[in-house]
Amino acid sequence: MRTFYIGDEMQVQDAGEDLAILVVGGEVDFEVSPQLKARMMKTIKAGRRRVVLDLSDVTFIDSTAIGVIAGAVEKLDEAGGGSLAIVCTHDKVMQIFEITGLDSVITVHPSREEALAALAVAG
Amino acid sequence: MPAQDLMTPSTSELHVLARRSELGVARKYAEDVAAAFGLDADSRYEFVYAVNEAVTNAIRHGASDEEDMIHMSITADADRLTFAVRDRGTFVMPEPEAPEVSEGGRGLALMASLVDEVDLHIDPGGTTVRLSKTRPSEAETAQANGA
Repeated sequence: MRTFYIGDEMQVQDAGEDLAILVVGGEVDFEVSPQLKARMMKTIKAGRRRVVLDLSDVTFIDSTAIGVIAGAVEKLDEAGGGSLAIVCTHDKVMQIFEITGLDSVITVHPSREEALAALAVAG
Repeated sequence: MPAQDLMTPSTSELHVLARRSELGVARKYAEDVAAAFGLDADSRYEFVYAVNEAVTNAIRHGASDEEDMIHMSITADADRLTFAVRDRGTFVMPEPEAPEVSEGGRGLALMASLVDEVDLHIDPGGTTVRLSKTRPSEAETAQANGA
């Protein structure tokens, strides 16, 4: 069992102030999904419009957390548009994205570098 | 777990308060029973995932407050592990046409995808969700391993 965490928001030098990276790890379930939601909403409210959600260290993500991520996409749309990219390397977590169809509305990348490259184009 | 007669089902129970903080306890319980039963790593993950969804639903919709209890059991028979969770609420069916960016309504679809059988029983006293995962046969396991 891996303990849930969210790292401090990170920015990339010279990439623009609207781009942010959030690193999440551990087991993301109904107990902690409110923390994920609060952080993602804070990031969007702060003006970030290109967000990399790095889930490389996530070993479990439940349907409530999937809902939070889907909600963030809606929030970006309401804020005038933006892009969210996910980094995922865990096979079973990827399977959950596929079952829920999240991978059809958010691009999932195998590394942070690829996610950043995709958002640089989006910017 | 001591050796048991495979023809005789064995059942274990777990009762927890209807609190989010108990979800990890429910997952650990399901993981331990599934490992003792002999499910492989992929099947264990899927079983535990479905259990987590069912218990989450019970906590969200089946309890009036955090002092309510959630009742769980797992029965193991020769080739099948069956989890049951009972709560005092009414199961909330997801909207079939909900958009992919909606925040809820994915739990049942996930459960149905990850275990072999999902059974919902709704009565005036509450809702019981049963999830069954069948142990792969030796031939299926060999095929999956590329033998």
